[in-house]
Amino acid sequence: MIIDVHGHAGPWFFSTDVGSVDLNLALMDRYGIDRQIVSASEAVTYDMVSGNRWLAEVLDTQPRLLGYVVVNPNDLGGAARELEKYRPGGRFVGVKVHTTYPDRPLLSAEVRDALGLAAEAGLPVLVHTWDETVLGLVDVLERFPDLRVIAGHMGGPAWRTAVEAARRHERLYLEPCCSITDRGRFRYALDRVPLGQLLFGTDSTLVDPAIAMGVVLEDGLTDEQYDHVMWRNAAGLFGIAAEPGPGA
Amino acid sequence: MSRSPFPPVPAGRQEIGIDVDVLFGALPSRRLDASLDAATGQHVKHRIRRGLVCSLRGALFDARAGNDELRKAGDRTRFVPVGTVDVRDALTADTEIPRMAASGVRLLRLFPPEQWVEPDSAALAHVVDVAVAHGLVLLTSGDFSRFWRPFAGRGARVCFLDVHAYRVADFVVLARREPGFVASTRLLCGPDSIERIAGEVGAHHLAYGSRAPLHDVLPSALRLRTAGLDDEAWRQVAGGTAAAWLAEGA
Repeated sequence: MIIDVHGHAGPWFFSTDVGSVDLNLALMDRYGIDRQIVSASEAVTYDMVSGNRWLAEVLDTQPRLLGYVVVNPNDLGGAARELEKYRPGGRFVGVKVHTTYPDRPLLSAEVRDALGLAAEAGLPVLVHTWDETVLGLVDVLERFPDLRVIAGHMGGPAWRTAVEAARRHERLYLEPCCSITDRGRFRYALDRVPLGQLLFGTDSTLVDPAIAMGVVLEDGLTDEQYDHVMWRNAAGLFGIAAEPGPGA
Repeated sequence: MSRSPFPPVPAGRQEIGIDVDVLFGALPSRRLDASLDAATGQHVKHRIRRGLVCSLRGALFDARAGNDELRKAGDRTRFVPVGTVDVRDALTADTEIPRMAASGVRLLRLFPPEQWVEPDSAALAHVVDVAVAHGLVLLTSGDFSRFWRPFAGRGARVCFLDVHAYRVADFVVLARREPGFVASTRLLCGPDSIERIAGEVGAHHLAYGSRAPLHDVLPSALRLRTAGLDDEAWRQVAGGTAAAWLAEGA
């Protein structure tokens, strides 16, 4: 079984034709991914309300997909309403917070309060991390006892610092997808971070799952490591029933 | 690991012919075995037959010594030597490039961002001109959207090693008028990046690159093996483009 905790649905503004949800499913089939937790690209990059609304309609017809409610830290009131709207239905199982498009640093007050909203809602939050400030998530986790954070992209180029952060806090999870394929990057995390804090994500359909598969599986995993990284940790974190599918 | 999520790979795609992006030496920014043996190990594991290899000593410390070190390195059947000059010391290009060309080196790799060189550097333009005059194929790192300019309009054959999926449009519009422009596949990580470039300008504008041993090889190798290309286009990317630089048949 494989659960991909970092997916997207919808089009992007690059020269790439990846907007169809059919492509999500085709790539999941190709790589044996059973469940994928996705955020709407529109909600991430442009309009959280219309993007989340579009994704809710998608999720109604796609049982293999689960959703992140995208929260824009510049509009915390609106974000709270989005969480009230989508949390009860059960199809949205987490919160997504980006920092690039809202133009708010990871350690800004706005992002901190957005993470606090996720904690209040009782949902894990996937946050975009791409520099050394990932270490500051440790303090944010201390502030919110119910908060569970996934450091998306494992800090990007700051992956060694992301590992240090995860070593310092048991509610900080690492997810390694990105185009950075520095040799041994995931092995570095695997050798230092408690196994229960490592997750598998792809960034599909923006990025082909081959990249994350290659990064995670380059050096081979034991069966126990494979199970925890590829699905068991995610199933526990998001409350997803372990139902063997095409990748089992 | 007893289970594999990898999709089945057609028999013709088990072996990748030439990796255009291989380095060896020391890497001060990592605790990492970046030896030629390490690169060889990755290539054997991932069934890559040959590589175009350049010295990190040449890139980061002493170009001439790196070029000499490279020529002495073993296993010439697996690795084709790629020379370099330090753009920060571009005056050496006038003697080092002819010296390399005379010794049979056909390729020159440049490291502008690693050497803190900007795209509008006069020194970089000079190195490119000298290399083109000697018939060398250029390999270069750097963000394609910034570093295409010093290579354009010169008739250069050049492989850009850092073309990211986000830069596909930039690459395609330039490759339409620059027949010698080639993109390495390493960062073409989108589900249709490789396919779109092949469809727009042809597979001869693409070449497989991994950056072994500094990078994991499986991500780029798996992406290439699952690429939506016909067999002829796939072989072109997996070795044909680089073979043409070496005046070999694919």
